[in-house]
Amino acid sequence: MGAIQNKVGIETKPFTFTVERGKVREFANAIGDDNPIYHDVAFAKKNGYGDLPVPPTFATVIDMWGGASFEDLIELLEVDPLKVLHGEQSYEYMKPIYAGDTITALMKVVDQKEKGSLTLFTLETLYRNERNENVLLARSVVIER
Amino acid sequence: MSALKPLTKKPITHSQLVKYAGASGDFNPIHTVVPVAKEAGLPDVIAHGMLVMGMAGQALTTWFRPEQLKSFHVRFKKMTLPGESLTVKGFITEETDENVLIGEVVVVNEKDEKKLSGTFHIQM
Repeated sequence: MGAIQNKVGIETKPFTFTVERGKVREFANAIGDDNPIYHDVAFAKKNGYGDLPVPPTFATVIDMWGGASFEDLIELLEVDPLKVLHGEQSYEYMKPIYAGDTITALMKVVDQKEKGSLTLFTLETLYRNERNENVLLARSVVIER
Repeated sequence: MSALKPLTKKPITHSQLVKYAGASGDFNPIHTVVPVAKEAGLPDVIAHGMLVMGMAGQALTTWFRPEQLKSFHVRFKKMTLPGESLTVKGFITEETDENVLIGEVVVVNEKDEKKLSGTFHIQM
């Protein structure tokens, strides 16, 4: 096993993703979520939403399609993709995100610790909308076994 | 502690994992390519943890409106394989003076093995 470098402080370039209605529907379909608020714009608007709202875990789409793909993350952390596990995930929701919003985000490594043969990385991503409002804060713990 | 209505999902299929990979953009082959999963010492591909959390999120926004959800935290406990059928269970454990409900969520399979456990905050 090679020496494990400290990755704390490393960050991605800011990345931008425009939330398309089709992507919201596709994501809800993949989960098997047929809630009409994620599929039917007229229904969503009638129920007080600005457009289709995004499901609670949609930030993964913004990361992976917007600029912090699985491959980018592997390169950033210099880990073996076959040995990576997702340990924890948390979200703080500050403002709603709707289809049509353009979200800019930046992911950084905020913590790294060793637990036996495991390395645990904590990643933090802050998401802002086109009005420069903070909309979401995500934290993930990624484990290399 | 008051229980919310459990959500039982259809069994996870290989095709669903391919769909979720495309939708989410998480193309780690351990979720979709069986020989790669076997090379990693697994019996089959494993479901994306975020798909399982997505199912918990589906339950949360069935129980509440999405904008009421203020925080959602989970720990992944066990890998999920195709063929497993998951159930999301939720409980409200506390109501604060600021009209915030604090809840717990768990996702289990048919054998009641825990796949994830988490907490959430709802603004009433």
